[in-house]
Amino acid sequence: MLEMLGLYPQWYVPGIGTAWVMGIIGTIHVLASHTSVGASWLFALLAQKSVNENKPEIMTYLKKYGMFLLAFSYIIGSITGPGIWYSVTVASPRGISGLIHNFVWLWATEWVFFFVEVVGVYAMVYLIGKIDNKTYLKLAWSFAVASWATMILIVPILSFMMWPGNDRWYNTGSTFDAAFNLNYFAHLGIRTAFMFAVAGAVGGIIAATLKDRETRIEITRFLSKMGLAGMFLMLVMFMWYTVTLPPTARMIMEVQMMPKYGSILGALLIATLLYFLFTAWKPMYLRQSIAVVMTLAIGLFGLWPEERSRESMRKPYVAGQYIYSNQFFARDVPGKGVVSDMPLIEAKGVLATNYFVPDDLRKITPENQMRAGELLTKVMCANCHSLEPKGALRPLPALFGFSTEPKMIQAYLDGALYHGKIPYMPRMPLPEDERAAIAAYIASLSDGKAPSTVVSQAAQDIHPSHTKGVN
Amino acid sequence: MDAATTAAMLHTLQDPTGIPSHPLIFQVLMVLTWVPHILFVNISLGAALMGLYAFTRRHDPHWRALSEAMTKVAKVGVSLLIVLGVAPLLFTQTIYDPQWYASNVLSASWVIGFIFTLTIGYLAWFAFYMKNHGEHAPGWIFWLGAFGLAMFLLDGFIMHVLAYQGLRPEQWLAWYTPGGHVDMSGTSIHAYELSRFGFLMAMSVTVFGTFMIAYGDYFKVRTDRSPAYLTFARNLGNHIAIAGAALQMVFLLWWLMDVPAELHIWTHAMTWLLLLYLGVLFAAVWIARGKTEGQGYRLLTMSVGMAGLVAIFREVLRMAYMAPFQYNVLDYKVNWDVPSFVLFLFTIIGVGGLMGGFIITLVYKAGRVKGAYQADATVTKLGTGSVAATAIWVATFLGVGIWIWLRNNL
Repeated sequence: MLEMLGLYPQWYVPGIGTAWVMGIIGTIHVLASHTSVGASWLFALLAQKSVNENKPEIMTYLKKYGMFLLAFSYIIGSITGPGIWYSVTVASPRGISGLIHNFVWLWATEWVFFFVEVVGVYAMVYLIGKIDNKTYLKLAWSFAVASWATMILIVPILSFMMWPGNDRWYNTGSTFDAAFNLNYFAHLGIRTAFMFAVAGAVGGIIAATLKDRETRIEITRFLSKMGLAGMFLMLVMFMWYTVTLPPTARMIMEVQMMPKYGSILGALLIATLLYFLFTAWKPMYLRQSIAVVMTLAIGLFGLWPEERSRESMRKPYVAGQYIYSNQFFARDVPGKGVVSDMPLIEAKGVLATNYFVPDDLRKITPENQMRAGELLTKVMCANCHSLEPKGALRPLPALFGFSTEPKMIQAYLDGALYHGKIPYMPRMPLPEDERAAIAAYIASLSDGKAPSTVVSQAAQDIHPSHTKGVN
Repeated sequence: MDAATTAAMLHTLQDPTGIPSHPLIFQVLMVLTWVPHILFVNISLGAALMGLYAFTRRHDPHWRALSEAMTKVAKVGVSLLIVLGVAPLLFTQTIYDPQWYASNVLSASWVIGFIFTLTIGYLAWFAFYMKNHGEHAPGWIFWLGAFGLAMFLLDGFIMHVLAYQGLRPEQWLAWYTPGGHVDMSGTSIHAYELSRFGFLMAMSVTVFGTFMIAYGDYFKVRTDRSPAYLTFARNLGNHIAIAGAALQMVFLLWWLMDVPAELHIWTHAMTWLLLLYLGVLFAAVWIARGKTEGQGYRLLTMSVGMAGLVAIFREVLRMAYMAPFQYNVLDYKVNWDVPSFVLFLFTIIGVGGLMGGFIITLVYKAGRVKGAYQADATVTKLGTGSVAATAIWVATFLGVGIWIWLRNNL
C-alpha cells in the first residue's frame, strides 16, 4: 500500500467549476481546429479542381478563404489547442499527467505534424499564384493529409479517456493497446465527418462575398455537397460510436444527456441539413450573415452539448477508467505499476495522506470540522460539482435537496459512495470522521435556503437518479 | 516545508505510470526543442517592437518598409513560437511533472488568463498587420499593435513565473496555505526573478539584431529590394545586436548573483562557458560594424549557438535547484514502450524531414524570386516525397491500428 497520495494543490472556480472552464476552451478549440482540418481538404480538392479545369478564379477564393482561416482557425486553434492542455493541467493535473505519461510519443508525433501544418498553412496562403501549379498541388495534398494526421493522433488519447474497451492495456501498459481502444475508429469517424460538415459551413462565410457569379455558385454548391456528405457520414458514425461506449456511458447518455440535449441536437441536425440542401439548391441566396449564424449555431448548440456530454459520459473517470475525475487512482494497472489509492484512503483518510493540507487540519476536531469539511469536499467533489446552491455545475446543495441535516447527507456517503455503488460516481471509502466533516460542510451550504419541498423538486429536475441515491 | 519532506513529496507526485523511454532522451529533447522555441520568442518580440517603432517613423520609406516587414515577421513568428513551444512543454511535463503541475495549479487563474490574453493579443496584432500598409496607414492602429505586444510580454512573464515557481517546491505548501488557510483561487503570482526574465528579454534584442542582419542578406538577390534599404536594415540590426549582447551580459551577472549561494552556480563550467560565449558574440557583432554585408547568416548562427548554451544552462540550473531534494530525472521509473518511440522517430525523420524540408526549401527559394517560382529538381523531388511520406504514414498507422483493434476487441 502507498504511504502518501500524489495529489496536487487544487484550483477551485466558484459557480461554474473547472469543468466549464475546460468545456468553454474546448468548444472554441474544436470548432476552430476541425474547421482548419476540414478546410485543408477543401483547399486540396478545390486546388485540384482549379488546375484540372483550368479555373484560376477558384484560387482567388482560396486566397481569400486562407487569409480568413489564418485568423479564425489557425490563430485561435493553435492557441486554444495548448489552451485545452493548460486548462486540463490546472483542472485535472493527475488526469493529464496520466495521459502524457502514457502517450508522450504519440503527442510528440502529433507535434511533428502540427509543426508542418502551421508552417504549411502560411505557405499555402502566401504561395498561391507564386509557384507552379504542380508544386502547389503537392503542397496542398501534403498539407491536407498532415492536417488529418493531427486528428488521427489526438483521437487515440480522447477515446482512451472514455475507456480502453478491454483489459489488455491494464496488463501490457502498451501505448498502442491504449491508442487503438474499442472506441477509437468510431470516434475518428465522427470527427472526420464533422470536419467536412463544419468546413462546409465556415467556407460559406467567404463564398458568400465572391463577386464572380459563376465561381460563387460553383463553390457554394461544392461546400454544400461537402457539408451534406459530412452530415450523413456523421450520422452513420454516431450509431457505431454509441455501441463502442462503456455501459455506464450509454446509460448516462440515455437517462441524462438525451433528455437534456437531445431536442437541441436534433433541431440543429435538421437545421444544418436544410441549410446545406438550400444552399445547394439556391447558392446565390447564401448571405455571409447566414453562414456566420450557422457556424455559431454549430458551436453553441452542437459542440457545447457534445463537449459537456462527453465529459459527463466518462464519469466517474477522467482517463482510461483508472483515474477518477476527482484525481484519485481507482484501480491497479499492473502493466504500468500503478497502484489504486482506495486502500490508502480507506485506511488513513485524505487529510493525513495529502501533502497539501495545513498541519492543523490533519486531525479533525470539533473546532476545525467545518474547515476540514470544506477542504475535503473541494478535494473529493469540486471537480464535478459546484458548491454554491445556484452553481452551474451539478450543485451539491441542490443534489442533496438543500438539506441542512448532516446525518441525511452522511447516510449517502456511508452507503452508496463508500462502497462505490453509483455507476457514475467515484468510490469514496473515507474514514468516518472525514465523512462526517463533509456532511457537516455540505449541510452548512444550504443554511437559510428555500423551503425543502420546493427545492427538492428542483434537485430532482437537475439530477434525478443521483437524488434518488441520496434518499 | 523541510528538504526531506519536500523530497518525499516530489517523488510521490511523480506520475506512477513512469515514462516510456530513458529519461535522458526526454531531457535532451526538452533542451533541444526549447532552442527553436525561444529563438522565435526572441525574434517575434524584437520584430513586434521594431514594427511599432518603425511605424512611428513611417513617413520615411525605409522605416515604412521595415515596419511592414517586421509586423509580418512578428505575425508569423508568434504562430511558430506557439507550435514550437508545444514540444519542450510536453517533455517538461514528462520528466518534471511535479514542478510544472504544482506551479500551474498554484497560479491557475494566470494560466487561463494566458490563453485569453494571448488570443486577443494575437488578434490585435493581426489587425495591426492588416492595416499597416502604405504611408497613409491610420495612426490609431499603433495602439492595436502596442496592445498586442503588451499581451505578448505579459504572457512571456506568466511563462517565466510558471517555470520559476516550479523551482521552489519547498514553498508550495506555504503558497497554497497562506496563514493556514487554503487558497484555491489560483489568482496569486507567488515568485518571479526579474534578472532571469530580464536576461531572456535582453536575449530578444541580440537575436533580433542578428536576425535583421540576416534579413538584409537574404533579400539582396531580390531586384525589388533596394540595396540602400538592405544596408539600412543590416546596420540597424548590427547596432541592436551590440546593445543586446551587452545587456545580456549585465543581466546574466545579475541573474547569477540572484541564484542562491548554496547552489554554487559560479563553480559550474556552463556558467563560465555562457559568459565567455556572450563575450565572443559581443566581439563578433562589434567587429562587424560598418561591414555587415554577408555576415548575417554567420552572426545569426552564433545567436542560435548562444540560445543552445542558454538552454543547457537553464537545465543545469534546474538540476542544481532540485539536487537538495534528491530529484534527478535520470531516476525516473521507465516502462519502455518501443513501438511508440519508433513511431516518433520515423515521423520526425520521414514526415518532418521530407514535408518540413519541402515546405521550408520551397518558401526559402520562392521568397528569393520576384514573380512566380518554377520548382527546381530538388524541390520537385521533395514535393513528391512529401506527398508519399504523409500518405504512407497514414496508411501504416491506420493499418497497424486496425490489426491491433481486431486483435484486442474481437
